[in-house]
Amino acid sequence: MKYETQKIAYQYFVAATLLFGLQVIFGLITGAKYVWDYDPLINFIPFNTSRAIHMNLLVIWLLIGFMGGTYYLVPEEAETDIYSPRLAAIQLYCFVAIGVAAIIGYLAGWSWGMPFLEQPTVLKFGIVIVALIFLFNIFMTMMKTKKWTVIQGVLLGGLVMLALLFLFGVFFVRNLSTQYYWWWWVIHLWVEGAWELVAGAIIAFILLKLTGVDRELVEKWLYVEVGLVLFTGIAGTGHHYYWIGTPKYWFWVGGIFSALEPLPILFMVIDTLRDVREKRIEIENRIPLYWAVGSAVMHFLGAGVWGFAHTLPQINKWTHGTQVTASHGHFAFFGAYVMINLTMIYFAVPRIRGVSLKGHGRSLVALRLMVFSIFFMVLALGIAGVVQSYLQRILGMDYLTTQDYMKLWYAVMWVSGWGVVTGVFIYIVDFFSMGKPSKITA
Amino acid sequence: MTLSQGRAIFIWGTVISAVIFLGLTYDSISKMPERTHEEKLSDEVANGKWTWQRYNCNDCHTILGIGGYYAPDLTKVMSRRDPEWTRQFLKDPHKVWPAKRRMPNLHLKDEEIGNLVAFLSWVNGIDTNNWPPKPMAVAAAGPSQMPGEAVFKAQGCSACHKLSGVGGDIGPDLTHVGGKRTPEWIQQQLENPKSHFPDSPMPSFAKLSPKDMKDLVDFLSSLQ
Ligand code: HEC
Ligand code: HEM
Ligand code: HEM
Ligand SMILES: [Fe+2]
Repeated sequence: MKYETQKIAYQYFVAATLLFGLQVIFGLITGAKYVWDYDPLINFIPFNTSRAIHMNLLVIWLLIGFMGGTYYLVPEEAETDIYSPRLAAIQLYCFVAIGVAAIIGYLAGWSWGMPFLEQPTVLKFGIVIVALIFLFNIFMTMMKTKKWTVIQGVLLGGLVMLALLFLFGVFFVRNLSTQYYWWWWVIHLWVEGAWELVAGAIIAFILLKLTGVDRELVEKWLYVEVGLVLFTGIAGTGHHYYWIGTPKYWFWVGGIFSALEPLPILFMVIDTLRDVREKRIEIENRIPLYWAVGSAVMHFLGAGVWGFAHTLPQINKWTHGTQVTASHGHFAFFGAYVMINLTMIYFAVPRIRGVSLKGHGRSLVALRLMVFSIFFMVLALGIAGVVQSYLQRILGMDYLTTQDYMKLWYAVMWVSGWGVVTGVFIYIVDFFSMGKPSKITA
Repeated sequence: MTLSQGRAIFIWGTVISAVIFLGLTYDSISKMPERTHEEKLSDEVANGKWTWQRYNCNDCHTILGIGGYYAPDLTKVMSRRDPEWTRQFLKDPHKVWPAKRRMPNLHLKDEEIGNLVAFLSWVNGIDTNNWPPKPMAVAAAGPSQMPGEAVFKAQGCSACHKLSGVGGDIGPDLTHVGGKRTPEWIQQQLENPKSHFPDSPMPSFAKLSPKDMKDLVDFLSSLQ
């Protein structure tokens, strides 16, 4: 850590870590409702409420993690302190407060009712204000710099894109098809556009620092990767426009562009491995490196391979609206954004706290357990989804009857979910022990 | 490759894709009124959409294939169910459809129910490029379905009855009911189940139109 104000990131990582724990607990609650027909919580936390909470917590903590990562990264890149650490702190408290208000609101039946964007409109305006404060603070910090690096540029571009796209999910539209048209501008263009830019910049920064390879090399590949992400991902939005009331030309545009989306993700894997191989400095702290490599591979499998599997209209016709989508959603979010956040945390926190990670094998236990369990979970959901597609769409069985045939796979999903939760709690324990000086050797 | 070539890939990649995407967006949005029959999108439908959102229905049910996977897709539900049945169901789901996996009673007001049914009927008319697809097995068997079978589906009989292995367990399996009961007896059961079974939980279907009633009785009687 080079600048005192980078420390503000730590608070962000604490908040993100705690909300991650809560998110997976709500995953278990939601999953249980598939395994047992009788739901004792039906009048307090019905399925829709627990799903909304599970998903909102996910998005909130990932965004908080990205913000923390940004506050850590920008001073070092821009070679200057953060414009206003106080504003950064206020912004975090406001964001957490809005998140908590949203969750309590859902429990009380207060919802805007579009999936993932269930936050009531007042809270959405609050989120917009928080985003503006954040962008202002980052922008003012970058303005102080003497050299604009590509990493900073891509990061800022991703963050601005992220904030602008959110506006397409704020307004009520009378026509459901049109509402969903714009809804995908938030959901798809976030995870397959803006977030990839943010994540790409963060990973480039970490690899640069860890391996000491040439900045020019890292930055030119960053350009190529995010360029291809946007080239394939923007028009690739069309893979969500096959069946929502939009014209048939999206079969072609969505199919072709989105089928190319795995390409830049594959480049990221190759890039990561090359940087590690060509490292110029002896890597002392290998733990973030394990996470970075794991993330590159899981990102490719979850988003690239699992996404590609159902992206062509000929296949999507049968799998759309089944558990196949849920399988991909878990794999992609975990492989890409959960693991990138944890990579950032394991990179930054030891530097903020001035400790070494020697003796933190526990982090790798958490890594292996999470990856292993998620793998089983998405396999189970994937099989459930294929069974569902077959029974419902090929044989014409009615929806509720198909669910009986999927019970076994729901059970496997749920048991694996306990593995995920265990992994997450090992991570949480490890996170809070990083500050304990007793283990320090450096 | 150099840094400036990398930058060129970034800029051109983004611009080309964005131009294609924005152009087609303009076209798609301008076709929306026609493809979704916006002329039928009344205030009642819009209010129904808001009711749908307010109660967060979409996090259990998919619609247009998007949402939670916990409950049936509702894009074309009004092709399967009749409006009256849907109203009754929304009033008290478990009473009308005692499935093992329950939908909670949302305590909807009658006006909200009316708006929801209007909304779902409007959604039913959206041109979804034939999604959900007609099941392959059914498509292969051809349009041999008897008209009464559609009534059977629309009225939600399978919530309580099995037919060839598919359906609920509250009432008896009807796969061979035609061999066991006369058409008159069946009609009597549909109009007034309590006349046969004093504590019958089966609702009366006396409200069916004479044609639907006849089709349904013919269909059941054909199940030998
Ligand atoms: C709420 C559950 C329920 C629904 C919905 C329901 N039934 Fe029934 N049905 C029953 C039960 C229970 C019985 C057993 C006899 C009784 O208690 O009435 C029954 C009996 C029958 C019988 C007589 C079977 C026999 O041989 O004794 C027929 C025929 C029948 N139902 C047809 C239908 C049709 C057609 C529909 C849809 C229009 C329908 N039922 C809807 C619960 C239901
Ligand atoms: C990290 C990147 C990604 C994340 C986090 C992600 C996440 C998700 C999520 C959560 C959904 C479900 C949305 C809903 O509820 O309806 C979804 C749908 C989908 N994703 Fe991804 N995804 C990513 C990348 C990709 C890629 C690269 C592809 C294609 C190659 C892809 C193809 C699809 C398709 C086709 C669907 C629609 C499924 C359907 O509804 O039929 N995704 N994605
Ligand atoms: C304890 C582990 C977990 C369990 C048991 C679990 C369970 C569930 C369930 C049952 C759903 C609802 C699916 C539906 O609508 O039918 C869901 C949705 C979702 N969860 Fe999880 N989850 C867990 C962990 C996670 C993690 C770690 C992530 C992030 C990486 C995640 C991301 C998501 C996403 C993106 C969705 C929406 C999927 C979609 O609509 O396609 N979950 N989860
Ligand atoms: Fe997508």
